[in-house]
Amino acid sequence: MLEIKNLNATVGDTAILNGVSLTVNAGEVHAIMGPNGSGKSTLAQVIAGHDDYIVTNGSVRYDGRDLLELAPEERAREGVFLGFQYPVEIPGVNNAYLLKAALNARRRHDNEGEVDAFEFLQLAREKMKDLDMDPAFLNRGVNEGFSGGEKKRNEILQMVMLEPRLAVLDETDSGLDIDALKAVANGINAMRSPDRAIVLVTHYQRLLDYVEPDFVHVLSEGKIVRSGDKTLALQLEEKGYDWVREAADA
Amino acid sequence: MTNIAQDLVEAAVNRLPVDALTPVRKAALARFAQSGFPSVKHEDWKYTNLGPAIELSNTWLANSAAVAPRTTWTADAKQAVDEILEGIDASWIIFANGNVALETLAKAESLESQGIHMSKLSNGRSNAAIISDDPMTSFNAALLQDGLHVGIRPSAYQVKPLGFLFVDNSLSGSLSQARIVIDVENEADIDIIEAHVSVGSDAQFANLVIQLSIEKGARVAYVRIQDRADTHMQVGSLIARLHQDSVLDYASFDFGGSMVRNDVAVDITQPGAIGKLHGLYLAGTNQHIDNHSRVDHHVGPAVSRAEYRGILNGRAHCVFNGKAVVHKGADGTDAEQSNHNLLLSKTAEIDTKPELEIYADDVKCAHGATVGQLDKSALFYLRTRGIDQDEATQLLTRAFAGRILTAAPIEATHAYIVQKTDRRLDELTTGDSP
Repeated sequence: MLEIKNLNATVGDTAILNGVSLTVNAGEVHAIMGPNGSGKSTLAQVIAGHDDYIVTNGSVRYDGRDLLELAPEERAREGVFLGFQYPVEIPGVNNAYLLKAALNARRRHDNEGEVDAFEFLQLAREKMKDLDMDPAFLNRGVNEGFSGGEKKRNEILQMVMLEPRLAVLDETDSGLDIDALKAVANGINAMRSPDRAIVLVTHYQRLLDYVEPDFVHVLSEGKIVRSGDKTLALQLEEKGYDWVREAADA
Repeated sequence: MTNIAQDLVEAAVNRLPVDALTPVRKAALARFAQSGFPSVKHEDWKYTNLGPAIELSNTWLANSAAVAPRTTWTADAKQAVDEILEGIDASWIIFANGNVALETLAKAESLESQGIHMSKLSNGRSNAAIISDDPMTSFNAALLQDGLHVGIRPSAYQVKPLGFLFVDNSLSGSLSQARIVIDVENEADIDIIEAHVSVGSDAQFANLVIQLSIEKGARVAYVRIQDRADTHMQVGSLIARLHQDSVLDYASFDFGGSMVRNDVAVDITQPGAIGKLHGLYLAGTNQHIDNHSRVDHHVGPAVSRAEYRGILNGRAHCVFNGKAVVHKGADGTDAEQSNHNLLLSKTAEIDTKPELEIYADDVKCAHGATVGQLDKSALFYLRTRGIDQDEATQLLTRAFAGRILTAAPIEATHAYIVQKTDRRLDELTTGDSP
């Protein structure tokens, strides 16, 4: 589904990604781990299409097509979802309005009928219940005044509403207490399906206790230096990131 | 800078028929002769050049027909007039080219039973109050054909908001000057709408003065909507006096005009008064919109707020100067001024200055201003949710304007204002701003 080859990207004059290659197939859950500054978030932002990041070499293909050619909104409508590490507060734009507009943009693109206000509310309430979210959040500004945990739940709510084919979740576990972490993990697990892929970008192994990945990759200095199964995450937890760096240098 | 031809002004004043307003005109003329129009050297007019308005006035005054403007509106203005009349359910009094349109006077009579009394300023009462030191209001008084006095009785029972619609439609460049004096008596509660439309591709200049006295315990909700043709200039003054425990809840919306200057002056003369001013200006191309507000707290406790927001594109130039003056002894004053601007182009320009002058000890005052572009991270966030760039831009600009829209009083105006705002934002954000 997602095929990244020798991806190099810069922000300003700084090279952040230095030849990332990664293949993610439908039905798989991948975890990308790595120390701060290793390029994890940059990789997520490049997949979503942020124009601060310039791709200088390599390719990203999604379902065989050049993903980098598409505008961020086109990628979203094609089923690519980015869960933000720092969800943006947008005062004055209603959360329900955004959710419904996003859902209908996707449905129009897929030649499905738009949902009306009633269908939308029914769906949203159901999903919010699963995530243990107060329906009152629908009537607030997007992420406006939300706590860290509320913002992350709101990202997961958007994901479960939009039902993307490829979900990239950037540090979705950071700043969550254990209840929020479980709610978020339940939301992610509910999304697992044979025709969907999930990429978890995370600094800590904690989330992986609740969402079991099929593959774990370690990113260091803009490159994947090690790949393995879920036991790699446990080894990392035990030995720390220095262990991977040393192994990479050796 | 060319200034106004005083001899032409005097000749025009002398051409007006002798009536109860004659002494007022002469007195105002004497004051205006001292000042002329304010130039950009004047601190309060630093960013707004009245040159084109002066040239137009000189040409118009030189034309002897100038003293007899039409009091009807032409077919081409009908659409603009109808749009307002159909969009806002109010009791409308229409001013055509500065003068009360005869056919709407009948309506004024019917409002009598609701406790709203209207009469022409020339019909006698003391008119000394319309003279002031301000050059633009003196110019208005000197050349005033007539004006309207509105008395709101304590028992006033309003079925619909009271609307004043100003329509200018003279075919050649013309000057229109209107004046309304509104006295809101004790405990009265009233909704007032002031709307401006104009048609015609030639330049026009309107110089309007509204005086508003709000007596003890009375409340006024006031919405001003300006959507003039893009070749037209306007200077408007609202002079409000707030007595004990009175409330003024004011919101102003500027959509059109080539050069627009709004002066709002609020005098808080007795304790317990609340003055809230809100403003939204949406400007594109070469539009110039200048909002000056000044609240004088002579006594406390009293509350004043001024919050203005602007969205600018093209080569628009806007000005905000909001001042709260807390005079000696006005303890218990609570005053805030803020101005926020969204610049959608590199060539748009805003000069903003929220000001506080405090001469009392026990006060709570705050002021602030921001100028910025659209939040890039918010734009990206929306796009990653499948919203295309144009729509995301529109959503964010609309959200920015939303605070003022929701602050506007008078529900009967809301749908109209929202629709106008959306249409104007659509023009500004898609780049084909007129």
